[in-house]
Amino acid sequence: MVMRTDVREGVGREVWEALAGVHDPEIPPCSITDLGIVERVVLSEQAIDVDLLPTFAGCPALDVIKQEAEAAVRSAAPGHDVRVRFVYSPRWTSDRITPAGRDALRSYGITPPGSPRGDRVVIPLAALLPTEGATCPFCGSANTVMESAFGPTLCRATHYCRACRNPFEAFKPKTA
Amino acid sequence: MPDDPRLSLILALADDELILGHRHSQWTGWAPHIEEDLAFSSIAQDEMAHARMLYRVARESGLTDRDDDALALGRPPEEYLNAVLCERPNGDWGYTVARQYLYDTADAIRVQVLGDSSWRALADAMKVIELEEKYHRDHAVTWFNRLAEGPSLTARERFAEGLTTAIGEAIAVFEPLSGEEELVSEGVLPRSNEDMLGDWLGELGEALEASSLDYVLARHGPVGEMVPTGSGEIPVESVDFTVPGVVRRDGRWMHEGAFAGAGGRRGRHSEDFLPLWEEMTALYRAHPGAKW
Repeated sequence: MVMRTDVREGVGREVWEALAGVHDPEIPPCSITDLGIVERVVLSEQAIDVDLLPTFAGCPALDVIKQEAEAAVRSAAPGHDVRVRFVYSPRWTSDRITPAGRDALRSYGITPPGSPRGDRVVIPLAALLPTEGATCPFCGSANTVMESAFGPTLCRATHYCRACRNPFEAFKPKTA
Repeated sequence: MPDDPRLSLILALADDELILGHRHSQWTGWAPHIEEDLAFSSIAQDEMAHARMLYRVARESGLTDRDDDALALGRPPEEYLNAVLCERPNGDWGYTVARQYLYDTADAIRVQVLGDSSWRALADAMKVIELEEKYHRDHAVTWFNRLAEGPSLTARERFAEGLTTAIGEAIAVFEPLSGEEELVSEGVLPRSNEDMLGDWLGELGEALEASSLDYVLARHGPVGEMVPTGSGEIPVESVDFTVPGVVRRDGRWMHEGAFAGAGGRRGRHSEDFLPLWEEMTALYRAHPGAKW
């Protein structure tokens, strides 16, 4: 994430905080800054340009996120010409999700994608079985299987925990 | 045909995704079980989003002044450049999965090649698409393995029938584009379609041989040219079995000469296209320029 605040730092911080207050409607606890989709904020005297990266190209929440980001930035920096757009370069990958974003996903019952580095979980004995499943958001076990790579939204896959016998969802890893 | 070969290229790519996405979406509510309902619905949603991205790239690159809705829904049938494979009805589960396997393995090759395109906006879009298509390919490969190697002989036979029906038209996904030489020499299309087809057929042949299904390559459907859509001409089964389009030479399956179901890249389609187009564009034609 690059944030050019060289013009007026105070406004920059307010704009960033306003964007941090915009949440993904499909994952309410997760802000768009924590999802890593705010790529760039460019401030000038008259205008504020915000570049966002789509998580999944077909995500129906993109339009809502764009509208809410525009409204948030406008109210944080009145009198500016606010332009929010989606760009495709660099491509968004799931390792752009911040540690706070990973916590927010987990609080919503969704396992964060990829490596659990930095995640603190209590590991039950069942988890010591040799498996490579996604960590269960309910009991922390890795004794899980992916039932389907697809789920209720484009960014989530459906899993099952053999330890606590709960179905759960995990954010799809999206990396090169 | 578009004057700019870049428009032919991007419409071929986008129309493939749009039309196959439309077919996939027809499984919503009807798939054999709920996981597959979700899978095909999700894949359809991805494919249509990819089409939308590419239509926008075409407009933002100054190749057309039509927006994504007008490109997706506002063109006459003969201006759609999708491969005929994509417009065929879903048929049974065997055909659906066979087509998805053939299309997504073929698509993977061109998506990777076009990630290095000298046309920067197209390359950026392809790099986004690449990460999402991985999930489609995994889905197709899982089904390939289950149906080809699974315990049910009936399932295997129906899958083989699906492959036999689809393979000829899948080869035509790589039918040369108009102005392709120019695209290749400028690095917009880093490798020719014929070149990519060679790679795909080689990989496909190996996968089929590993499952003893390579016989489907030797008995694929007839070779022929589509008649122009809406021309009123009667399709002629101009079958020349001496040029089957696929041969096995030096232990490798290769493409030779003709294409089955050729013409998609020039706006020529099968009898299945018009009904699809009529349904897909009905609302837009009734309310031109409508916005959601």
